[in-house]
Amino acid sequence: MNENSTNTELLIQYLDGELQGEDLEAVIKNLANDRSLREEFENLKLAREAMRSYGLKIKVGAIHGDMMRELKGNKTPRDKVIKMIGQYGIRIAAVLIMLVGISFLYQYLTTSAEKLFSENYRPYIIHTMRGAPGNSGLSEKFKKGNMESVILEFKSLHSPQPEDFILAGIAFLENKQPEKAIETFQTLIQENARLKTDYFEDDAEYYLAMSYLNNQEPVKALTLFEKIKADSKNPYSSKVSEWFLLKLKRLQVKD
Amino acid sequence: MEINKDFTDKSLIQSLRTDENPDQAIRFLYRTHYNLTAAYIKQNSGTEEDAEDIFQEVILSFIDILRKDKFRGESSVITFLYAITRNIWLNELNKRGRSKLRDEKFEKGKDTVEMDVSHLIMNREVKSQLMEVVDKLGEKCKKILLAFYFENLAMKEILKALNYENDQVVRNKKYKCLKQLEKMIMTDTTLAKNLKLHYNE
Repeated sequence: MNENSTNTELLIQYLDGELQGEDLEAVIKNLANDRSLREEFENLKLAREAMRSYGLKIKVGAIHGDMMRELKGNKTPRDKVIKMIGQYGIRIAAVLIMLVGISFLYQYLTTSAEKLFSENYRPYIIHTMRGAPGNSGLSEKFKKGNMESVILEFKSLHSPQPEDFILAGIAFLENKQPEKAIETFQTLIQENARLKTDYFEDDAEYYLAMSYLNNQEPVKALTLFEKIKADSKNPYSSKVSEWFLLKLKRLQVKD
Repeated sequence: MEINKDFTDKSLIQSLRTDENPDQAIRFLYRTHYNLTAAYIKQNSGTEEDAEDIFQEVILSFIDILRKDKFRGESSVITFLYAITRNIWLNELNKRGRSKLRDEKFEKGKDTVEMDVSHLIMNREVKSQLMEVVDKLGEKCKKILLAFYFENLAMKEILKALNYENDQVVRNKKYKCLKQLEKMIMTDTTLAKNLKLHYNE
């Protein structure tokens, strides 16, 4: 190793704080007296600082990438997947909401009293009411489905019985005479009220409500159906669904 | 698992100035100051990408200043970082030839605390040139010099980490590498001059 190399090695040891005793004193003395040695020492110091700056740059660069992911909210691939699922979830939810909205809009636009009536009308099944006066033979004609005959015979009766009103009312309804049906059911309800009886009251109310619906009177129909629905003892209560009431309310709004 | 640690100005400065592993302090700076810097850069003609680049520079400059004991503690860290940000971004806009824009917007956004930190900050271009030079050094040299001068590892740790036979081999290698780097820097006289100006500031 030549003298220059020896000097450089000593300078580096001095730079690193590794010199002691005579060696240290010699280097300090030489630096004070030798300008070119001083310059070399400064340059080596510069190279050391450059290396420190380089190391710091690498460290901060590594942390930077990490922190940007953290600050921008996508820390790991797993987080990205969760985010992606979230985004798809939102899209699916949006599509579902849109479909439900379209469905409601369709229901709203296509709901009509006639449609609601035909979808929900159930034929009357003759039943015997304990303690109720009998009918005037209308039931046989009713069972045969001859509604015009039922109407004709009902009109000829001088003292129709409660069941006659029911059968005649339904005959009017099925014969596309809802106004007459309304009148007939109302008469029975009024008679029950007057006589303080309740013969075929539940049947009369339910079919009166259906008659209102058929007669394009959804407001009146809704009031009655809501009353029926609210009375859990009413045999027709279970026939009136919430969905049906909702449709009826929409019809009311349209009306 | 890394624990997010909170720092006061004093403990932050202490950690960045003296810690061999100041990761938590750097992360704390990102969490508490990045958004402020980004908002500032974006309000003054910059993009999100600019903000990311500039913030890295701000952190590097801040640590550099601390380690040279050039921060006198006359202002809070946030004020000082703002001054560094402003200085670096001003120079960047100047470089991009947007001084007019700079005059209009920077003066509007000027903080009440005016602090000249320009003499403490290494010019971005000088820094970039320096990084290019160091990059050209061989991988072994970079590793050994980083281990010594940046990570401050003990000789035993370096021997183990870099798989050298004995102390003397490492010393010889380090000597050659540092000398090589010195020559590479000195070859570029402009870079050498700028570095001398900065490091001897």
